Amino acid sequence: MSSHISRASKRLRIAQQPTAAGWMCNSCRRSFASTNRSMQTPEQQRKEAEKTTHFGYETVAESLKASKVATVFSSVASSYDTMNDLMSLGIHRLWKDHFVRGLNPGIRPSPSSSSTTPREPQRILDIAGGTGDIALRMLDHATTLNRDTTAHVTVSDINPEMLAEGRKRLSSTPYAAANRISFLEANAENLHTVPDASIDLYTVAFGIRNFTHKDAALREAFRVLKPGGVFACLEFAPNLSNPLFNAVYKRWSFSAIPLIGQVVAADRDSYQYLVESIERFPKQEDWAGMIREAGFVVPGQGREGAGQGIGSEGWEDLSFGIAAIHKGVKPL
Amino acid sequence: MSLRNSLLRAPATLRPLLVQQPARALYHSYEHSPAPPYPETETKILSSALTHVPTHGFTQEALNLGARDAGYLDISTNLFRKGAFDLILYYLVTQRLALANRVQFPDTTTGVGLKVRSLTMSRLRANGEAGVVPHWTGALGHMSLAENIPASLRELAKLSDEIWFLAGDKAVDASWYTKRATLSSVYAAAEMYQTQDQSTDFKDTEAFLDRRLEEVRVMGSAVGGTMQWAGFQAGAVVNLLRSKGMRI
Repeated sequence: MSSHISRASKRLRIAQQPTAAGWMCNSCRRSFASTNRSMQTPEQQRKEAEKTTHFGYETVAESLKASKVATVFSSVASSYDTMNDLMSLGIHRLWKDHFVRGLNPGIRPSPSSSSTTPREPQRILDIAGGTGDIALRMLDHATTLNRDTTAHVTVSDINPEMLAEGRKRLSSTPYAAANRISFLEANAENLHTVPDASIDLYTVAFGIRNFTHKDAALREAFRVLKPGGVFACLEFAPNLSNPLFNAVYKRWSFSAIPLIGQVVAADRDSYQYLVESIERFPKQEDWAGMIREAGFVVPGQGREGAGQGIGSEGWEDLSFGIAAIHKGVKPL
Repeated sequence: MSLRNSLLRAPATLRPLLVQQPARALYHSYEHSPAPPYPETETKILSSALTHVPTHGFTQEALNLGARDAGYLDISTNLFRKGAFDLILYYLVTQRLALANRVQFPDTTTGVGLKVRSLTMSRLRANGEAGVVPHWTGALGHMSLAENIPASLRELAKLSDEIWFLAGDKAVDASWYTKRATLSSVYAAAEMYQTQDQSTDFKDTEAFLDRRLEEVRVMGSAVGGTMQWAGFQAGAVVNLLRSKGMRI
């Protein structure tokens, strides 16, 4: 417990650094002063609410996690994309491209089925889609590669500031003019405005790690998906398979990323949270197990020769396992 | 690996409870009927996709049509990360497992060599019956992509093992390996030849296969003879040296 207090006090000192405060907006600083105060008393919070969860390495009451995550993303919203480029050295773009290409969104009009009834347009729900980079890639892929001009993406985020960034970016695209994008401010654990069995493809890229109840989010995904619909998740993994790469990577993520956050976004705490939350996310096997428990069919499971060779484990590691793509199909 | 470790740490009486699904045997078992090679959902989509292969080839398009036929959505083909190659692999696996039912040997006096020949030819004819021969060059192209080579070779090795097993070969010496290796190369060559075969009922392919098997037989006996000769010579040398008083 002493380590928590010492880290919290260290953060307080960093937040009060005059150099960083020079170009930090007032609202962010105010909100962070309050989070730091609440971090100092984790014992009291535990008494107040029996159920706790983790917020990075901190232990906080479940009811507080959502607001803490909201504070983090509100403060990083404006510099989110720049920061992603700096932290991942631009590789996050490749991951996202690969993720979308693998999903192959859009329905290719086949010359043979022109006589049959036109299929209803594909509906994609991009959870935690904030700044809209997955949504844009989805629509680009569907339109240019599959010549599908009807696919529709709903960008959903719990955070209005992140959603505002997405609106700003997507409103100038031709897709917004064609009414192929809509926005939804919702908690992924309770998508009550989305009807049952209405979504073809549910994606969540680098978001599900921040959810308080991951199992509730999975159940909700299962509910909104059509039978045969796909749940796809691109997320960091806590450990790399190769111990040597893992050591180098941990060094980078725990020392460089908070530093870049401090210098570029004037916000060390948010990026400290980011790397800690990656450590806390379940391992690939465990996460695939959770997806299976929610009722999804995980690719490659139970095939002959499962466990040997690439493609049989049910997920796909990216860049030595820094991130991983998990998919699940809702059975009929 | 972790599963195996945790399993072995558990008390012996509890171990059967911890094994969730019976592990697939790595050998041909007479006691246990093998589990289906693919899970139910994947089997449905892939088997209906195979019916579209004669018209669309081994493509994503065939997979999409198969998913629609099975009542799934186009996007459901995300079950198959490698797309077309997963369809090819499914075709190879199902054809390999179907081989046992395709060929029966009521005559117990048939030699192993003849059985191997008819099993191999039957597997090649299955390509013609499934209507995949015109698309097989494309499939071979997919199989020869660097990322797919290990899975393709594994499947080829399994096919040649299946053929030798069904032919009743019971060799337990080094020829176990050479037999499988040579049959794999013969089969791969014959399959390549088949894609260019213009004759009716694959007569040319059959003749090609016969020539290759004959070569292997001649080669095999030559190699066997040479090895035997070398063995005798080595023994003679040892005896010669002993007769000169050397303590070997």
